[in-house]
Amino acid sequence: MSLFRFAQAKPFVTLGLVAAVWLVVPAVVKTFTRATFFELTAPVTVAASYARDLQEYWSLRLHSNRELIEAGRDLARLNASYEFSVQQNTEMQAEIARLEELLHIPAYPNYRLEHARVVRRDFSGWWQDIVIRKGKNFGLPVGAPVVFTGGVVGRVTEVHATTAVVELITSPGVRLAGSVEGDTRPFSYQGGENPTFGPPIGVVNYVPLDVAATVAAPKRLVTSGLGGVFPPGLTIGEITSVTLGSDGLSKNGLVKLDDRLGSLTEVTVLVPLAPE
Amino acid sequence: MAYDDINLAEKSGSLVESQKNYDPRVVLFYFALAAALVFLAGGLAYQQLFLNLSHKDNERMQTQRRVLIPGPRGNILDRNQNILVGNLLRFSVVLYLDELRGEFYREYVRIHNNYIRAGIKKDGPSVADLASLARVSVAQRYLDQINVILHRSEKVETKTLLDHFKTELLLPYTLLDDLSPEDYARLLEHLPVNSPVQVYSKSTRSYPYGSLAAHTLGYVGADDDVSGENFPGKGLRTINMPGTSGVSGLEKQFDDLLQGEAGGSIFRVDPAGYRVDPPLAEQAPKQGKDLVTSLDLDLQLTAESALGDQTGAAVAIDIATGEVLVLASKPDYDLSKFREPGTIADIQAQHAWTNLALNGFWPPGSTFKILTSIAALRQGTITPDVPIVDCEGTTRIGNATFVCENGLVHHGEILLRDAIAQSCDIYFYQAGLLTSPEVVAAEGRRFHLDQPTGIDLPNEGHRMVMPEPGWKAKTVHEPWYPGDTAHMAIGQGFVLVTPLQMACFAASVARNEVYTKPTLLHDPNRPRQHSESIGLTAAQRAALLEGMEGCTLPPHGTARNITENPAFRVPGIRIAGKTGTAQKDVVKDGKRGTINYAWFICFAPIEHPEIAMAVAIEGDTIGESFGGGFHAAPIASAVLKKYFEKKQRGGALFTPPASN
Repeated sequence: MSLFRFAQAKPFVTLGLVAAVWLVVPAVVKTFTRATFFELTAPVTVAASYARDLQEYWSLRLHSNRELIEAGRDLARLNASYEFSVQQNTEMQAEIARLEELLHIPAYPNYRLEHARVVRRDFSGWWQDIVIRKGKNFGLPVGAPVVFTGGVVGRVTEVHATTAVVELITSPGVRLAGSVEGDTRPFSYQGGENPTFGPPIGVVNYVPLDVAATVAAPKRLVTSGLGGVFPPGLTIGEITSVTLGSDGLSKNGLVKLDDRLGSLTEVTVLVPLAPE
Repeated sequence: MAYDDINLAEKSGSLVESQKNYDPRVVLFYFALAAALVFLAGGLAYQQLFLNLSHKDNERMQTQRRVLIPGPRGNILDRNQNILVGNLLRFSVVLYLDELRGEFYREYVRIHNNYIRAGIKKDGPSVADLASLARVSVAQRYLDQINVILHRSEKVETKTLLDHFKTELLLPYTLLDDLSPEDYARLLEHLPVNSPVQVYSKSTRSYPYGSLAAHTLGYVGADDDVSGENFPGKGLRTINMPGTSGVSGLEKQFDDLLQGEAGGSIFRVDPAGYRVDPPLAEQAPKQGKDLVTSLDLDLQLTAESALGDQTGAAVAIDIATGEVLVLASKPDYDLSKFREPGTIADIQAQHAWTNLALNGFWPPGSTFKILTSIAALRQGTITPDVPIVDCEGTTRIGNATFVCENGLVHHGEILLRDAIAQSCDIYFYQAGLLTSPEVVAAEGRRFHLDQPTGIDLPNEGHRMVMPEPGWKAKTVHEPWYPGDTAHMAIGQGFVLVTPLQMACFAASVARNEVYTKPTLLHDPNRPRQHSESIGLTAAQRAALLEGMEGCTLPPHGTARNITENPAFRVPGIRIAGKTGTAQKDVVKDGKRGTINYAWFICFAPIEHPEIAMAVAIEGDTIGESFGGGFHAAPIASAVLKKYFEKKQRGGALFTPPASN
């Protein structure tokens, strides 16, 4: 009878034992196990992303020549305008460098651009993080800022052999020093509580009292460049409302983030050329 | 075995038998037992039913802590809502010690094991010392993280940290204070969001105009006693972040109004004092109320700029309401630099602590002749159109020779108007002698020149003197001489007043009344002040005002340069004024001599007076020619010019003109 009862409870006992053992296992072993698991499953994730790319490729092949010619023409125009912007930027950078030298101001750090495909995004943590298809193999460091055409994406939090995890600016775990475009005073930006598939938002704190913003007249929030991680002037989002903080000395506000953060396919990692 | 069984049976049998028997002694024991049970039950009921609340309170006291965070102070504004004193966010980086219990323990074990491995068992540190070492070590580890981020090499202050741990465990411990915007930004981006080290903000007083109205606005000092009156849990053990309270000036006078309302949290704590989340109650601190002063930023800036680095004071008053528009005192100090080392020593070296507008007790010189004139006119000892003296530059009073402007000027048979305009001393010696010191002093008292003005500032002095024979006998123990009357009549000798008093006097004369109560609070609906009429006839008042206007006009007015000199002229405005130059014997750098006090009182426009002023400057060099007309009057004219410019632009909230 007792043997029968033990046989019935065996799965629970086993589970309990495993849990107990896991509790006493040193943190190093746990970290190693987790990393190993990630590395073991990474090829599957990467393979799935390549499969998706192939699928996309074949779907694009279905377009007619006429459509492709039109798209090519549009692209050529876009390239022309970008080329013009690049030339302007080059001139401005040269001017900035000259002024920095003249005024003995330390130069902002330079970055190497590393473009990467997004390979995985969990439904459970839609606004938390993404996995990209580059890692140690491309020299990505932990903490590197990640951007896309709409501005800041987040920063690298884990780097594996061929993949890296990027924590998004929509996550409450990401905080950075932002400022209103054209203003130099830094204040705190932090990701908000974002429900899956809902419009992404963030929050700002310690906003100077003279900053006003409404939905009708939002203020563009950019990176301040003072924090040492993100270069200045990158778009974070738009401050759509500010309210006086309880201390009466600063304001708190809401930031509307780019909706495209929910459908990222390609991002750029800014790898510092001279890390601190 | 069998033997034992038999014995037990036997014993058992006897026990059963004994209980069956009735024994009165056992009954007694029953009663005693019952009584004891009733006593215990009663005690339990008493504790549970009657002392229930008390036990609850004790339990709360032991397990709950109240943490108070002071609310920021209200702003101090000028009458046009410009911020004179505001608040500024000051960022620091703090460590939440109560979140580090586990780390403290692990560090303790590590250090302990190190000692054991090193073979130090008996002579090693005590448990308490090891615990302290662990705390400092952990705090330093976090500070090192900050050092790496900010490229610094700061060290934890052991004593401060351990004291904080003992007494204020629930409050964050400040690792670095006063962060620059760059440091603040770096920490925001580099510190993990859930780290026990965080950026913390607190408010500090900010002074957008540095030393502007420093004496009037006052300053605040640290105050550990934060009032949590509107926050629940009054009986609980309370820990608070240090707040501030007013130490001087308006900050002190209106401390209750400006003081913010403390907020904070109530936490449950474990027996070691560590917080058990979440808080039982939370309330955000609230900012104190704003104080709208009557000061006018533009006029105050003008007055202080005109005073420059001289020692003196300037006061401007709205005649109708008594609202003080300017209250400037020099030398002063920069309120925003109070925290810098050496500042206090500099202030002391310059004797800059004193608000000379309220506590500069100086002889008013010839500005006092207006009072002497009023006393004599009311007494009937002089009339506007009859000369009382032939000024030949000198005159004998008692055994002494008195001079008029060093005996250089011969005013001849001068009338009141010209005597005021040209400030003829000999005329007023005679007027004083004819009127008597008692009557002049009584007139002074009628104008409240013998007492503080009652302005809403702390520490207004009481050393003003309106002398008369009785006062001299009592205070100086000497008889009153005719020379004393002569000196008094021209505002010298024993007469002592403050610039604020003289500004109020000028405002009162402008309203043809005897009392002006000054105030530093602005009220757009404040009614016009009223007090007893001076009591002059229309002709007497006209002569007085003509004399005062003549003072500011060429060819002989003692303050004519403010209309002659285009730089000082106030276009289109008729000003009634009176200059004054008083002397005081001093010993400076081992040299005995006299220094001058340059005075100017005025009001404008004469037709419908709006603004009254008093300016007083102390000369700094013995024997220097230093007079009211050339040194004090231009300061007043600069303020008047600004006032009427603002009025013309409609930029100032000026009170409607008084109707006499």
